[in-house]
Amino acid sequence: MQKSFSTVLAVFLVFIVAAVGYSADIKKGIHIGNAGAFTGDAAAPCMEIYNSAQIAVDEWNAKGGIHGVKIEQIMGDDAMDPAQGVNVAHKFVADELMYGVIGPPMSHIAQATLKIYAGADMAQITTSASKPDLTEQGYKNFFRVNARNDAHGWNAALFIKNYLKAKKVAILNEKVAYCENLSKETVSGLKKLGITDIMQDTIVGGAKDYSAVLTKVKAYKPDVIFFIATTAPDNAIGVRQTKELGINAIFFGSEGARDKKDYIQAAEGAADGSYVYHFAPDVYAIPEAATYVKTFETKYGSISGFGPPAYEAMNILLTAIDQAAADGDITRQEVVDYLHKVKNYKGVLGFPVTFDEKGDLAGGATYFFQVTGNDFKQVAVMTGK
Amino acid sequence: MELYLDQLPQQLINGLTLGGVYALIAIGYTMVYGILGMLNFAHGEIYMIGGFAGWWVLHLLTRNNVVIMNAALVIALMIVIAMGVAALVGMMAERFAYRPLRNAPRMNLLLSALGVSIFLQNLVLHFQGAKVRFFHIASLIPDSLRTFHVGATVFSFMRILLIGVTFVLMGLLTLMIKKTKVGKAMRATAQDIEAATFMGIDVDRIVVVVFMIGSALGGAAGVLVGLMFTQVDYYVGFQAGLKGFTAAVLGGIGSIHGAMLGGILLGLVESLAVTFLPAAYKDVVAFVILIAVLIIRPWGLMGDKIPEKV
Repeated sequence: MQKSFSTVLAVFLVFIVAAVGYSADIKKGIHIGNAGAFTGDAAAPCMEIYNSAQIAVDEWNAKGGIHGVKIEQIMGDDAMDPAQGVNVAHKFVADELMYGVIGPPMSHIAQATLKIYAGADMAQITTSASKPDLTEQGYKNFFRVNARNDAHGWNAALFIKNYLKAKKVAILNEKVAYCENLSKETVSGLKKLGITDIMQDTIVGGAKDYSAVLTKVKAYKPDVIFFIATTAPDNAIGVRQTKELGINAIFFGSEGARDKKDYIQAAEGAADGSYVYHFAPDVYAIPEAATYVKTFETKYGSISGFGPPAYEAMNILLTAIDQAAADGDITRQEVVDYLHKVKNYKGVLGFPVTFDEKGDLAGGATYFFQVTGNDFKQVAVMTGK
Repeated sequence: MELYLDQLPQQLINGLTLGGVYALIAIGYTMVYGILGMLNFAHGEIYMIGGFAGWWVLHLLTRNNVVIMNAALVIALMIVIAMGVAALVGMMAERFAYRPLRNAPRMNLLLSALGVSIFLQNLVLHFQGAKVRFFHIASLIPDSLRTFHVGATVFSFMRILLIGVTFVLMGLLTLMIKKTKVGKAMRATAQDIEAATFMGIDVDRIVVVVFMIGSALGGAAGVLVGLMFTQVDYYVGFQAGLKGFTAAVLGGIGSIHGAMLGGILLGLVESLAVTFLPAAYKDVVAFVILIAVLIIRPWGLMGDKIPEKV
């Protein structure tokens, strides 16, 4: 009884504090939260996200901030633990000067905190949480600048048809949920694009020998083999045995294969000329990102791919806050409303960002790379068109 | 139909190599079972350790992706050292985990074997990590020798090597068992362990020899697979052990020739199943055949029909 009373009281207090934050004078200050796992195994990518967002904040502040008010980014460490993520969310929504949050970058923590942020109308932009479910629950405040898991299938189909110019396709997928879904999405995408000559079969991850099923593929004589395995070593075996069997098809590996040591070097030359897809861009291939890249590298060191979406997300969020504050008065709901209006925002990601009504990146974004020598070269990006 | 005929020769090659591997592993199971009546479930891990031993030999003899001595010598060293290490591990498992339980109920031995399996797997995980190790074989075989094309069928050097070594090892084993004194003692021990003791055979020594030979063959399989598929990790022993055990049962557990036949049959069945059915049915077909054989001939294809002892 005692406990439930204190819970009710706590919830009540949160609502009061949140309600106070609803309408405020912009002059008191602008806080932006950044929720992520800044300690623990994922600390490195999360710090890259934080630092990239900070670059955007610094640039805005250098131009005078928003209506003369300096912006402050506040770190909320969840240490990859959903319970701590909930604490961070409560802290953030209680901060009456906070108008938006970057993150959380991990799907399971985003899921655990969705309700709290939504209850306070707090705009959130995640930069890497990719679980499709997150935007399927009707919350209006949640956005992402990264593609959903299920966007890659259609994009891969577009790549196979338009870039690789294939007419006959073999798809092999590992028997796990993610790979199976991708395979299914790709097949239905290819059919929509008019490619019906499709062979589809499965592999077992970690089995080390795919020669029997690849022999079958060889007899089918496809133009492209789309090899959907989770890990880089499995992709390496796939491409090696494809070459060994003398199959003259283009080898198109999956996300996990974007790994120099465990894919390119492990295949000892067999991977040369093959393609892979990935959810993150090669930021060096995008001219618009040059300034950001230079600033990041001089201040914080090398970039892995988690940074650019965070820089983009922060800029989009600050633009929305800027628009919401135009009349000198701002509410969190206004920020969310302006984010829903984001259309063809041109930043550093190499394609115009548009949010659909669910808050997803319209069309998603899938990047395609070709192996040349000992490196991956970005050759295309597909955004659902 | 043409689609199937085109790939048939290639699938037979694939099946034969895979079958050779299964056969080598199955021999270890069947020899131990023949003498002690126990299933050595740690055998898959010994195969895995053989793979790691071979990887280390190759790794230590490689500088900047080029082997520092004659490639044929490196391959021979890899196989011999892997067999040696595997034999040693098999011997130690027998000495410390199985011999103290020799007269205990069979179930205790089986549990002890499972324990050894978990122990070895975690030992390797602890000291070698979970990451996959790659065999950099490019400098072992020049490009021109790596594959041979006969029509649409491709023979890779490593597959020929694997089939060759497998048959040589199986031939040597057969000779040893048929022609040498140790072989005779092994056969006697397998027939009746007590009677063999009465005839002056040092049964403990024979059991050690059996474990060493079986493990060495398992280790050879591990390193050959490493050379052919170019990867090894701490978890490969589980699947391989399961397949080797299946092959041994299919051929008739306790029969060495049965293990060879069972292994090769299993390999062929698997790759032919992939030819005609979705690859997901590979194991289904293999086990349906196993069940069918066991219904018609419960003692396996070449096993002895042993009357129930009362």
